[in-house]
Amino acid sequence: MSAWRRLHVKVRRAHGLFTSRRVTEQYTWMYGPSTLGQNLSTGKPLRNDFFKAQLAAMRKKAADALPGSSWSPFDINPNLPPERADIVIIGGGVMGWSIAYWLKQKERVREGVKVIVVERDLTYSQASTVLSAGGIRQQFSLPENIHLSLASADFMRNINEHLGVLNEDPVDLQFNQSGYLFLASEEVAHIMEENYSTQRQVGAKVTLLSPTQLKEKFPWINTDGVALASYGLENEGWFDPWSLLNAFRRKAMSMGVIQCCGEVTGAVACSVVHDGITACVEQVQMPKGLEYQMVECAIVVNAAGAFSGKLAEMLGISSNPKDTIAGTPVPVEPRKRYIYVVHCPDGPGLDTPFLIDYSGMYFRREGLGGNYITGASPKEADEPDTSNLEVDHQFFEDSVWPRLAYRVPAFEKLKVTSAWAGFYDYNTFDQNGIIGDHPVINNMYFATGFSGHGLQQSPAAGRAVAELILDGNFKTLDMRGLGFRRIMAQEPILERNIL
Amino acid sequence: MLKILIPTLLLIPTSWLAKAKWLWPTTLLHSFIITLFSLAWLKNTTETNWSTLNPYMATDPLSSPLLTLTCCLLPLMILASQNHLAQDPLVRQRIYITLLVTLQLSLIMAFAATELTMFYVMFETSLIPTLILITRWGNQMERLNAGTYFLFYTLASSLPLLITLLAFQNKTGTLSLLIIQLLGPIPISPYVNIIWWTTSLLAFLVKMPLYGVHLWLPKAHVEAPIAGSMILAAVLLKLGGYGMMRLMLILSPLAKELCYPFIILALWGVLMTSSICLGQTDLKSLIAYSSVSHMGLVAAAILIQTPWGLTGALILMIAHGLTSSALFCLANTNYERTHTRTMILTRGSQMILPLMATWWLITCLANLALPPLPNLMGELIIISALLGWSWWTIIFTGAGALITATYSLYMYLMTQRGPVPNHMISMNPSHSREHLLLTLHLLPLLLLVFKPTTIWGSAY
Repeated sequence: MSAWRRLHVKVRRAHGLFTSRRVTEQYTWMYGPSTLGQNLSTGKPLRNDFFKAQLAAMRKKAADALPGSSWSPFDINPNLPPERADIVIIGGGVMGWSIAYWLKQKERVREGVKVIVVERDLTYSQASTVLSAGGIRQQFSLPENIHLSLASADFMRNINEHLGVLNEDPVDLQFNQSGYLFLASEEVAHIMEENYSTQRQVGAKVTLLSPTQLKEKFPWINTDGVALASYGLENEGWFDPWSLLNAFRRKAMSMGVIQCCGEVTGAVACSVVHDGITACVEQVQMPKGLEYQMVECAIVVNAAGAFSGKLAEMLGISSNPKDTIAGTPVPVEPRKRYIYVVHCPDGPGLDTPFLIDYSGMYFRREGLGGNYITGASPKEADEPDTSNLEVDHQFFEDSVWPRLAYRVPAFEKLKVTSAWAGFYDYNTFDQNGIIGDHPVINNMYFATGFSGHGLQQSPAAGRAVAELILDGNFKTLDMRGLGFRRIMAQEPILERNIL
Repeated sequence: MLKILIPTLLLIPTSWLAKAKWLWPTTLLHSFIITLFSLAWLKNTTETNWSTLNPYMATDPLSSPLLTLTCCLLPLMILASQNHLAQDPLVRQRIYITLLVTLQLSLIMAFAATELTMFYVMFETSLIPTLILITRWGNQMERLNAGTYFLFYTLASSLPLLITLLAFQNKTGTLSLLIIQLLGPIPISPYVNIIWWTTSLLAFLVKMPLYGVHLWLPKAHVEAPIAGSMILAAVLLKLGGYGMMRLMLILSPLAKELCYPFIILALWGVLMTSSICLGQTDLKSLIAYSSVSHMGLVAAAILIQTPWGLTGALILMIAHGLTSSALFCLANTNYERTHTRTMILTRGSQMILPLMATWWLITCLANLALPPLPNLMGELIIISALLGWSWWTIIFTGAGALITATYSLYMYLMTQRGPVPNHMISMNPSHSREHLLLTLHLLPLLLLVFKPTTIWGSAY
């Protein structure tokens, strides 16, 4: 019997080679179509199933014909951005989405402005936001920076008031307010004292500690070489950057911002008057393909992070002679920084602040299982290669571990569990953010070049840019000092850091 | 009549044979000459009111202002489109002008028709070039939706009109306006008089538009290119009003009761759409809703069928045509420079383009019916006529006039005053073409202050 069945199988399978189905039907009329208990045909179903396939198709067609359906006679790529938008934000990191959220927050009527955010990699594999250590501090020397971080910390403490969406889970940033601890050596202690007075004047809650007080508070620190320490008591610490990005994105999209996955590859200047250009059309290229869409827009915001300089160059900003205003390039380039996750069960403990040593090393607690995140700023001469995000473990062995073990003796015995690398959107001019409009291209705004402290300043910086666009000038915080003017005038405003 | 129609028809070969450099100046000049000739229609010397009579077409004091407005608008449309079509290839520019001329032809023949059949055919014909203008030259994806709404609202409501006209021909043996005006009441079975009344007027109520069936207008006006918006606002809406005025001759004993719901709808629409204007973010959308609001007044005035009502309706139609078209031109000058229609992003233009601010001021003041402009004359006559019909309408019309003033001033203040945004600091200065365009809109309006009897119509 089974041999007979195997013959059936052979004949059925061979029905494509022989010209007709007659061969199979000769043998199967006795047994019916599903004798063998399995469906061997690989093409259309044997029975014409009217109710499942055709009826469903007819119902779908009828539903498409009703108003409100999104059917259109043109079979175009549904992922293309719209043909025109009021504001195009290039870059979908935390800065771009923060600006999008604040623009929608400040429009006075619903659908006041049409905003689209163009991000070329929705997995954020190279974005600085998600690869960041996530720290927030007010211990800067520039009042603008302190204001930005203070306002952002306030925003993040009340994040659900701002970014909560109805019927969705509340936002949990895991904001650990453990504070930053800066350690200064004898030579730079006076800078730390001056910074401390600036910070207190602006309103940051910082305190200075002598070595003995330091040892009392944090017994695991080796205070050799430390002359002064500056500890943030409130609004300082670290949080989860991915949660902040998603919170901004979810809220902005619920308010009507359109997200588009694509890369901006060009722009068309529509009017060139003697003292200004207006870029009016952006060319957005779809990923993995040749399709592109020209998006007509009124305002362009460059929030492309580490790749802002390259974007500006591609848009033709610096194609003019170098010593003219029009030819000033946007001085932002990517710089690679490594972060290493180490496990040390005998380490400092739960009240570890984000410690930054005068030698350039830093570390902070990560989670509750005895893991810490650590890294160091490389010297100017040994900047790593930025063509990829490969991690150099030798750097840990040479530069980070010795300093780490010197400062915290418990860290002599640790194990590196993982590591990653991320880009700073490094402002080669003065390592501080550029917030403002471009002097020549009238409708291009910048929010980039934060050189490692962009994530912590993103809520307040986004609000500043939105005020600039919708109100014409800054309303809550005055960020004119961080404008593009200082780059044209070659007047850097450097942070007086101790490292 | 032929001395206007033949030159308009021959504008089509002109646009195809003119050299590239001379295309726009040539068509502009010739359409201006046609406008000058059309001014002759405004003088009416006959006792029967019908002049320039031939078997198919004639003008009377009701249709001659609308005809002159139509002929006046073609050169203005050509002026307004010149800039944004400059990047298009030459063939497309020629096609655009051909479409505008075809639309012009169908509109002239519609207004001048003596037979209602010809009027109906031309009414439908005017839809096609407009549809092509909206769907091909509009700016955004939504223009397909807008074109669909525009086409099907008008088509669906005008097919019953065809049936009505055929039935009328059957019953009375004629569809000529000259004879209809002399016929008495039409014997209709009392069961069908509601249907008869509705089918006659539905097409025109949709075209006006009446408040409940106005959805096509904001979409079509916003998505159309500037010439499309101009002709839509200035003339195509008036086609509805004109049709209503003509057809109500055949409906006379019925109109007394059956017009009630539509008058209420129209007056309610005045209030509602003016209020919507106050919350609009898109400039063209605001002007579109303001058109609906003004046309609501016109619809109510025509429906009460009094001599003052018809007079006021016609004056307001002409004045609104010029004003609305001017507003769309101003919005377009803004759009061409900033590439956005959102009002938040285009503020403070008075600082940058002061002379354009003058035109904005005059046009916004015209929109809010400032004396002595014909806008006020029309509105005042309509409000008085409605008051005579019923005391209660003053609530609607008074509140409507108040809100109209509010949103017109709001539009002026939002676009002209306020801090200048950074991205508007260096815009292209105003072209003299734009100044000419607005002057040619506002000059007839100002001239009409001195002799409104030209646009009074035959009811007075």
